[in-house]
Amino acid sequence: MKNKINLYIIEYAINSLLSQKYKTFFVTSVLTALVFLLSSLFFITNSIKYELNSTLEALPEITVQKIKAGRHYDIDISVVDEILEITGVESAIARVWGYYYFENAGVNFSIIGLDEYEEQYKNSFVKVAKELDFSKPSMIVGVGVKKIMDKNYYKEYFNFIKPNGTLKKVDITGVFSGDTELESNDVIVMSNESVREIFDMDKSKATDIVVRVANHNEISTIASKIKLLYPDSRVVTKDDLKISYQNIFDYKSGIFLALFVISLFTFFIIIYDKASGLSSEQKREIGILKAIGWRVDDVLREKFYEGFIVSFFSYMLGIIVALAFVYILKAPLLQNIFTGYSQLKTSFNLPFVLDVQTLALIFFLSVPIYIAAIIIPSWRSATLEADEVIR
Amino acid sequence: MIKLKNIIKQYEVNSQNIVMALKGIDLHIKEGELVVLRGASGSGKSTVLSLIAALSKPTSGEVIVGGDRISKLPDNFASDFRRHSIGFVFQKYNLMPILSAKENIILPLVPMNLSSDEIEEKLKRVLKMFQIEHKENQLVKNLSGGEQQRVAIARANINNPKIILADEPTANLDEKLSLAFIEILKELKEEGKTIVIATHDPLFFGLEIVDREIEIYQGSIV
Repeated sequence: MKNKINLYIIEYAINSLLSQKYKTFFVTSVLTALVFLLSSLFFITNSIKYELNSTLEALPEITVQKIKAGRHYDIDISVVDEILEITGVESAIARVWGYYYFENAGVNFSIIGLDEYEEQYKNSFVKVAKELDFSKPSMIVGVGVKKIMDKNYYKEYFNFIKPNGTLKKVDITGVFSGDTELESNDVIVMSNESVREIFDMDKSKATDIVVRVANHNEISTIASKIKLLYPDSRVVTKDDLKISYQNIFDYKSGIFLALFVISLFTFFIIIYDKASGLSSEQKREIGILKAIGWRVDDVLREKFYEGFIVSFFSYMLGIIVALAFVYILKAPLLQNIFTGYSQLKTSFNLPFVLDVQTLALIFFLSVPIYIAAIIIPSWRSATLEADEVIR
Repeated sequence: MIKLKNIIKQYEVNSQNIVMALKGIDLHIKEGELVVLRGASGSGKSTVLSLIAALSKPTSGEVIVGGDRISKLPDNFASDFRRHSIGFVFQKYNLMPILSAKENIILPLVPMNLSSDEIEEKLKRVLKMFQIEHKENQLVKNLSGGEQQRVAIARANINNPKIILADEPTANLDEKLSLAFIEILKELKEEGKTIVIATHDPLFFGLEIVDREIEIYQGSIV
């Protein structure tokens, strides 16, 4: 009774690998490290792309800011009414927000104001507006902000220092969970009134105005009309913001590309070394096998199993370690390269994104290439006269 | 059984250095014969064995074994021929030091994908025949020279081939072990195997079991 798969050849391949345990361990370690590095880079990039796309989807269609001497100034709230008169504009909301520098921790918080009875310009703020107590100074903070405040003993409230040096005490009433981690980590949401007080902003002013358009094809036309109405304004569309975000990300992905090239370069050096020839001991082994009746295809099958066992094991191990590194340990060192634009770098969780294409790409970059590097020199030796090899 | 017709074998050491190993050898060995090829080192004895085992091809001439012209066999057919018809005992045994005695012995069977019962049956036969049952699980690198040779002979016989070729089989053995090897030869001859031994060990000269001694000198039969 014959089996289709020759288990004895597989057993021989395993024995052969175990007999050279130091060499096998070294090759497996290097391959695993390379697969791990490549996979980690791919996983982080995929997660950030996913996060970025989610963030971009939540961006306002048009943002209007007042510009004076090339700098951003507060805009008159009355502009909202005039924008609403433009045909095609569905809504226009004045936003009150700014950055607050918390000196003790050396980080910036993004403070965003909401109005209880006003339409919210972001889905994630609808729930927050319901939870927020507008009757007293209170705030809902992002996860990263909460951690920083806890560390600095502000567990129930926080004292903001106003521009005139006096303090504004605001109670922490909840933790904010936005559409994405990138968006919500450094955010503090409170009433518009509180934000104005902290930043000493006039009631008739807003930081900017966000405009929602009924027909998405009309965004650029409406943006042009606003620009004509207010030549001293900067009108930014969603597409402009997308490009800006992408530019930041592309810069990061340049670093990724460099690491990727280094990994591949190292891998191909190993492959070149393997493919350039066998040791006399390995040639002799092939010669003996042929002398006792193994055919060329038997020898190659055995070498295939050897290569497959080492490379597939390294591939699986590299992927598992990379998954743990990126999604459990939060990619220490590597993540900061890619997420530098977050105000708070603490407590940033990469969303779990695992696509088959990435796994397949890493597989084809590692397993078949390594197997080929084993098979080709073995084939060269196996096709020589056995006598020539073992003499 | 084995016919070598006007065999010439040249080895190209490099483009300016060609060694003539055999210079037109004619040889006929009958079935069941035990033939000793004698001669000094480099005379061409091992080359003759290598050609009979289809481990190399002659530069010109024909090697016919059991009616098949093996000197023209393609590589994979030559492997099949060796697997089924030839048992080769190499001078340095050519065992895999990292494998056990048992694993070495069954190595020729590995590509055949036989059932474990078939392998076990063949293994038991040779282990018993060459008295190495008690060593089957030891790594061959830990065995003595004589034991290693028995493993090599067992491996050569695992497929019960009709032809046994031995290249300088006693070169690494003391006299006692060499005599033990001759006892093994007797058994193999009694089984009807055709045996060709390449040696310069005088122990084989004039032996009762040897049917013929053929002297090879500088690539020619004298």
